[in-house]
Amino acid sequence: MSETDYGDRVGREFPGGSYSLDVWRCWLVADTLLDDPWETTPHPVLAWMAGVGGMGMTWDDLFAWFDASADDGPMFGEHRTTLHRPLEAGATYAVSGRVVSVVRKVGRRAGAFDIVGYELDLHQEGTHVANCYNSIVFPRRGAA
Amino acid sequence: MSAPVAVGTVVPPHELDVDPEKMKVMAALLGDPNRIHFDSRLLEELGLDPRPVNQGPLNMGYLQTMLARWAGGRDRILSFQVRFLGNVLAGDRVRAEGTVTEVRADERGTIATCDVSLTVLGGAVALAGTAEVLVDPEPTQENDA
Repeated sequence: MSETDYGDRVGREFPGGSYSLDVWRCWLVADTLLDDPWETTPHPVLAWMAGVGGMGMTWDDLFAWFDASADDGPMFGEHRTTLHRPLEAGATYAVSGRVVSVVRKVGRRAGAFDIVGYELDLHQEGTHVANCYNSIVFPRRGAA
Repeated sequence: MSAPVAVGTVVPPHELDVDPEKMKVMAALLGDPNRIHFDSRLLEELGLDPRPVNQGPLNMGYLQTMLARWAGGRDRILSFQVRFLGNVLAGDRVRAEGTVTEVRADERGTIATCDVSLTVLGGAVALAGTAEVLVDPEPTQENDA
């Protein structure tokens, strides 16, 4: 494990924004999960979806902060959601987020890769509703 | 949930077949341009299995669905943590499983900590982690006079 050239990105804030759990969106998400789309409480996976949907930048924008693109094959590493209160259909959440860690590792088979950790927070009228931590694994082919 | 929850209690498993049409809808909902989730021709050209790769959020969601059904609602999931260990492909049959490892009570009620995993049947574990679910929102009930 070592630091990378991207250490200065730690603490960088996402532009942020907002995300609405529209009823139609909740319905479709539950349906994609083969769960009951008529249930009124939004599926908890929408906490993460609201976070990335309202973080104020695209995946391509985020990848570019680390000199990567979708073609480099970034992968999900880890995910953690803490729900301080249940999600509500129809609610709009303020979203904020930031990069919290960047670590380089070298695997025998995978070679070098960077693990970028970021956090997203959902607030509703000043109340903290949820926090999501996620990591993205960026392959660094050719790096030592 | 009929029986009392204790360490070792097994969460009723949740099995399903992974549908590539649902991946297309999820790709649109996420605004995810990664074609490995819907473009079989691209996967073939890359020399990969032509079956589209399921999105991570869908794999997470299967586990959360299992926990919510067991605990009595989607609002019962308090925290959820997983590591992504492998891919799930279109047409795979997956099995979500969980086992209670700790039970405690706080001001919210009785909370069960569970080990959870999502396995491709005939394949490998794709996700593994832990979750906390509220299994009884009224912890003081039995002490009430």
